[in-house]
Amino acid sequence: MIEVQHLTKRYGRVSAVEDISFRVERGEILGFLGPNGAGKTTTMRVLTGYMPPTSGKAVVAGFDVFEQPLEAKRRTGYLPETPPLYPEMTVREYLTFVARIKGVPGGERKSRVDAAMERTRVADMAERHCGKLSKGYRQRVGLAQALLHNPDVLILDEPTAGLDPKQIIETRQLIKELAGTHTIILSTHILPEVAQTCQRVVIINRGKVVAVDTPENLTRRLTGSETMYVQVDGAPADVKTVLEKVPGVTRVTVAEGHDGAAGYEVESEPGRDVRRDLARTVVGGGWGLLELRPVRLSLEDIFLQLTTEEQPQAPQGEATIQ
Amino acid sequence: MSNILAIARKELRGYFASPIGYVVAGLYAIVFGYFFAIGLNWFVRQSMQAPQFGGGPLNVNQQLIRYVFMNSTVINLFVVPLITMRTYAEEKRSGTIELLMTSPVTDFQIITGKFLGALSLYLAMTALTIIHMAVLFIYGSPEWKPILTAYLGVLLLGGSFLAVGLFFSSLTRNQIVAGMFTFAVLLLLWVIDWLGSLGGPTFESVVSYLSLTGHLEDFLRGVLDTRHLVYYLSFITFGLFLTAKAVDSERWRG
Repeated sequence: MIEVQHLTKRYGRVSAVEDISFRVERGEILGFLGPNGAGKTTTMRVLTGYMPPTSGKAVVAGFDVFEQPLEAKRRTGYLPETPPLYPEMTVREYLTFVARIKGVPGGERKSRVDAAMERTRVADMAERHCGKLSKGYRQRVGLAQALLHNPDVLILDEPTAGLDPKQIIETRQLIKELAGTHTIILSTHILPEVAQTCQRVVIINRGKVVAVDTPENLTRRLTGSETMYVQVDGAPADVKTVLEKVPGVTRVTVAEGHDGAAGYEVESEPGRDVRRDLARTVVGGGWGLLELRPVRLSLEDIFLQLTTEEQPQAPQGEATIQ
Repeated sequence: MSNILAIARKELRGYFASPIGYVVAGLYAIVFGYFFAIGLNWFVRQSMQAPQFGGGPLNVNQQLIRYVFMNSTVINLFVVPLITMRTYAEEKRSGTIELLMTSPVTDFQIITGKFLGALSLYLAMTALTIIHMAVLFIYGSPEWKPILTAYLGVLLLGGSFLAVGLFFSSLTRNQIVAGMFTFAVLLLLWVIDWLGSLGGPTFESVVSYLSLTGHLEDFLRGVLDTRHLVYYLSFITFGLFLTAKAVDSERWRG
């Protein structure tokens, strides 16, 4: 449904997006994850035909956004970072205007506007001027505007920014409902948001795609890391030999410790959780287990660099004992 | 076409939802009214004195309406920047330009829509002066045809001014900057024939051809000359073309 090939966008000499490629299948929700300034908005602006790419190609709903912009735009709904509202218009007037320029036929306009307001829960503000709406309502009127003409593709730039927690949940729910009939790209810099709404994630940093995967895989790679840091109160040489004998462990290196106890980095076979065995072995050997935690892999380092952590909704079995 | 009209209607609504539409129309009405009152006063006095010096009756069209309209064009210098300064600049500042440019409408439709919206406000503003003409029709008997050509001329002149304003508004996201540039350039075009005296005869005729107000004379006299019509229409087209180029280049620069 959406195909991006070797897309590059430069502003003068600065390149905002550098050779990125990805695909989104029909009905899928793709999360676009990255810190501010990573190139999310630029990519979205190219996809919506707001600006042409410097090189590369983007195809939306079967139409090249640069070669056949009108056809592509007809099938795209876009919520920019700041909802594009005209402060002097009422919500209804505004949506009617949008319906007109999006090419919704005259007879359907009213029902489409009503339906969009109903879906995004802004109907109670229909006669209010857009300039007088709260941030949450603006965002939702922006969303109503994007899905008004029932486009195949929805491109949402931080759709939950500025909403309160209840509205965030509602909006995520709405986005999930929209998937299937619509193909959705949404950008965010909040990790759990991606995990909850998206089927696939593109992580982008400094204009480059760092990873493309499902949120499950990403989460596994993040939390189930394959190197453990263990701090044990005991003679380093003995501890090292014993730890090496734990099933699944491939390598043990002595690392920096503190409080008079040595630390060890224990590497294990991929996909194997050795934490329980490690703990049992150390305690069984009569030593004190002071610390046991996964060492963050480079992907997580990237992630940390990339994302603003939101409090995770549910504890995910963190093995950090401090 | 429906896209153009939708945008034109949105623009017009925007003018009257903010104070701008009323300020512009009110300002114009006051200054025009003042020019009209002074002109009428002068005309009435002249008409009374003329027979004493053996002159015939004065012509309302040639000796009043024409001058009032000519003088009133100076108001456009101030009013047009007020009308056009927000057109693009405000949309760029607030981000609504993203809505327009990601909707299935062409740049041409957006620009024409904005131009027609501004022109409608200008038309509404000019239409207020029909009251003054009505007064003349009640107490005198002017000819209506030269008045009609005068209005056509004023409309075309206004259109040309608006095209300049639209262009400068498309260059910046700051309304004040757009307005100042529009004003400065309109003022220069206003007095461009002063340059004529500096060069040879060819130069002089070129410069006087460029003068926006020079082409208005014939319209106000009641003469419909295609040369002037072509001049104004090509001026407007050129202005809108430049606007389209500016919008397009902005798109590429990002």
